[in-house]
Amino acid sequence: MFQNPEIALAELPNADDVEWEPLHPHYARVIRVSSAIFFTIVLIAITTLSFVLNLPLGPVVALYSLFAIAVSIAMIWPGISVQRRGYVLRDKDILFRKGVIWRSVTAIPFNRIQHVETSSTPLERKFGLATLQLFTAGGSSGDLKIGGLGKDIAERLRIFILNKAGSAIEHA
Amino acid sequence: MSTPEPGTWRRTSPFAILFFLGRTLRLIAKNAWQSLAPLFALLVAYEGVLVNKLMLGGIAFAVFIATASLLSYWFFRFQIGADSILIRHGVFKKKQLDIKFGRIQGINTTQNPIYRMLGLVTVSFDTAGSAGNEGNLPAVTRDFADSLRERIGKPRTARTAEEADNEAEANALVQLNWRDMVRIGLADRRALIVFALIGPLMERIDDDIDRYLAEFVRIAAANGIELDAVGGVSIAIVVFFAVVFLFVVVSIAAAFLRYNNFQLFLDGQTLRSHAGLFTAHEHSMELGKIQTLRLEQGIVQRLMGRYQLTARQAISSGKRKSQKAFVVPVVTAALADSLHRKLLAPEGGRLSQNPTSAGFVPVSAYYMRSTILFAGLLPALLATVVLLKPLGAIALVFLLWLPIIAAASYRSWQRAGYVHDDHEIIRRSGLLGYRTVGLLFRKVQRVTVTQSRYQRRKGLATLSIFMASGSVKVPYIDHGKAKQLRDYILYKVETSQRTWH
Repeated sequence: MFQNPEIALAELPNADDVEWEPLHPHYARVIRVSSAIFFTIVLIAITTLSFVLNLPLGPVVALYSLFAIAVSIAMIWPGISVQRRGYVLRDKDILFRKGVIWRSVTAIPFNRIQHVETSSTPLERKFGLATLQLFTAGGSSGDLKIGGLGKDIAERLRIFILNKAGSAIEHA
Repeated sequence: MSTPEPGTWRRTSPFAILFFLGRTLRLIAKNAWQSLAPLFALLVAYEGVLVNKLMLGGIAFAVFIATASLLSYWFFRFQIGADSILIRHGVFKKKQLDIKFGRIQGINTTQNPIYRMLGLVTVSFDTAGSAGNEGNLPAVTRDFADSLRERIGKPRTARTAEEADNEAEANALVQLNWRDMVRIGLADRRALIVFALIGPLMERIDDDIDRYLAEFVRIAAANGIELDAVGGVSIAIVVFFAVVFLFVVVSIAAAFLRYNNFQLFLDGQTLRSHAGLFTAHEHSMELGKIQTLRLEQGIVQRLMGRYQLTARQAISSGKRKSQKAFVVPVVTAALADSLHRKLLAPEGGRLSQNPTSAGFVPVSAYYMRSTILFAGLLPALLATVVLLKPLGAIALVFLLWLPIIAAASYRSWQRAGYVHDDHEIIRRSGLLGYRTVGLLFRKVQRVTVTQSRYQRRKGLATLSIFMASGSVKVPYIDHGKAKQLRDYILYKVETSQRTWH
């Protein structure tokens, strides 16, 4: 009744013995620039508030030091996290890994892909980047989102995956 | 009306007005304030005696609702096309709904007592897309519903009550009797929620009772009878149990209303249930559409040795609430296993979904340890240390958090487990009760293997399996095993020649 699948498992293609494709080298910079924009707005808000409310020195110093810590983390972190991200195209599926503390590898078979989307924010466009999104059935939040791809690579991936998904559906 | 001819727009039976009446009332109940505002304005604006004004308001309300239902009926038309059902509706804002036969996952019918006398049913469609409340055909004949089912490739429904009974004797997979209705009522979780809600309320009632009792004792004492506080407490307890009893009775009545004479059939590849005391509900679902099978047991159900079985379909994107599920409200473990076998046939169903069966592989004990560490020890220590200064020794109370979390995580570790064969995996979880979820590997949408820093050090990982009906997580298993399972699932999905839906 219980058929031991372990033998079959050992002979299966291993999703870890793969060469991970890195993301675009400018991706970390894009994240830094967008957080820099965000933090500039926050800085302006903090400064105006502290002047308008005439806050005492103690809280103001605490606020600015918190701000400095947040900024330094936001500037250093992308360099670490982007290195950990990568994707692999295989014949039947696409793999994506990410995470520094919580590391995950997600695999989506092409014959389960519902549709593919590429998008880019103005900032991403300036650096020639795009985001690729893959949608499977039943999920709205958990769909795979690969940011920081070169624009042409994202487009090529989109067409490649669509072709793969289409032919997979015809087979099924 | 009995045979759908393509290409002509038609109205349903005038009795559909009843359906629209119900819907209008529901709509008003839902947006009570907005819809009753004009009425209030009317009542306030005109001078006169209050009773007259109320009468006038009542008449206006009745006329409004009657007109609204009449108009909704008049503008509701439908057409059976070559490959879809077209529905046009809307009084002011015209809408057209196009339900493709291919998208229809199941056809459900409900029949209230009036419709039953007239041989009419209300048909609703389960679709993979978002049809919402509009995918209904109210007050069509039973024959029409059957012909619709046939057209879409779903088998016929039970023709008459007698035939249904005969059929029931022949091949009903599940048949529930009045004892099961009592079980459903007792296990109703909503009753528990009501208890939680009336808890604080009880305190206030208690106060009133206290005051009343004090008065009572005073009068009694004046008349030479002696009463003490014990009497007061016992009366409060009696009141509490009376309220609890009342809610249990209500939920049992609700169970009778909804599930009376519940019957489950398997017609070829279609699962069909029939139930209801006054309004008969008939649900159908194709076996191929089942994404996950869920067997649940709450505390009360545990005492009774019963389970609830739910078959889940794909959810349309982003609408978790619109998920269609097929529920068998009470089953025994043996019955659940036989249903499991039938529903996941031919490849799956060889494993037992019974949570107490021997096959389950436990997850690593680090699952419990990490929960105790990160959800118990750290918060408890932090709260104690931070609040020690302002609160003093009272802050030590926060340390009590630790044994609570420890007990809970020990329990949920004990219950966590999984079992798999070549085609399906069953995950077990639970805290007070049990829950097992079974799924076929070939229907998986995507898989993720996640490792936290803590898990990395211990060589463990969490396997998340995403289905079209939601995700199933197997926590804290060996990293190698997780990867093996992932690779095997990918292999099964990628070599599968059958559709997942």
